[in-house]
Amino acid sequence: MTDSAPSPLARHILSLADTKRLLGIRYSDWILGGPSIETGIAASSMAQDEWGHARLLYSMLKRLGYDPFEVEHTRPAERYYSAPALDDPFADWADFVAATVVVDGALSVALESIAGGNFPLARSRVPKMLAEEEYHHQFGAAWFQRLAGSGGEGAARVAAAARAMLPSTLAWLLPGDGLYRDLVADGSALSLDAVRDRCEARLGPTLSAARIRLDDIEPARAGWDGERRRGPGAPAEEAVERARGDRNRDLFVE
Amino acid sequence: MTGEGVYEVFARKKRGEPLRHIGYVDAPGDELARVYAWKTYDEEKWFEMCVVPRGAVIPVNRDDGPWGRNRRGEGDDG
Repeated sequence: MTDSAPSPLARHILSLADTKRLLGIRYSDWILGGPSIETGIAASSMAQDEWGHARLLYSMLKRLGYDPFEVEHTRPAERYYSAPALDDPFADWADFVAATVVVDGALSVALESIAGGNFPLARSRVPKMLAEEEYHHQFGAAWFQRLAGSGGEGAARVAAAARAMLPSTLAWLLPGDGLYRDLVADGSALSLDAVRDRCEARLGPTLSAARIRLDDIEPARAGWDGERRRGPGAPAEEAVERARGDRNRDLFVE
Repeated sequence: MTGEGVYEVFARKKRGEPLRHIGYVDAPGDELARVYAWKTYDEEKWFEMCVVPRGAVIPVNRDDGPWGRNRRGEGDDG
């Protein structure tokens, strides 16, 4: 990976790729242990989708002057650009469900923001990713509304999980900094207003089941790290070791 | 949503092929049944897939299959 700060487009792609890689790991933690066999299968399939998308996104960086192998396999945790809501494992199923709505939903909006832009690889690859993401959206919406409507402990826990993830995730999705303005100015991504509208359209109806309004959530911008496009902190080392494939590095063949 | 239950999964690989029964999923409602079916039976590239609540399938000539109780009716010992 180059030592210089990433270009606006490279930061955006790396931020998407790292978030998808971490989300896949968090989903994979629940292949066993979810409420039913079907939820485990869905978690497995969604994890595979996220890892596949991450691989495609990392490969796009080659066009921007990066070595994808180096990016995927050599960075320490503090060089990850992933959304902070994924730094630690999900504590329970409510966290999983909230993440499918909040983090996976925000990821789809961030993908949409470059799908029609002037980066050719995004225009050709992102639409298929978004089509696969529709099942994640349906899964998250159905589970969130089911838990939120239950009126019991599940409702309280899924609402609390979503409220905990939203401030840092909105800051990640809506970086009101110069690098993002440059990305918009060169035609690579949608404006922040357009992204905000799409975020409301995608997340708003589901979150309303828990009486959460996006307009009431203040993005958490304290300690903003402009290079990594996220707030302070880093993903837990154990997850990064899995993301890099440290344990079996000696057996890596490609 | 129709409530907790079993959904039968039907699919075809090509337009014009007959739908065939490929399995079932347990789901708490129609929306999750759709997702679970698509994610569970994803080993093929399906042209079309649909799910049907097991309770909506009415057997015609046999009552001893998985859908037999629908013909006999809920709570009917016959």
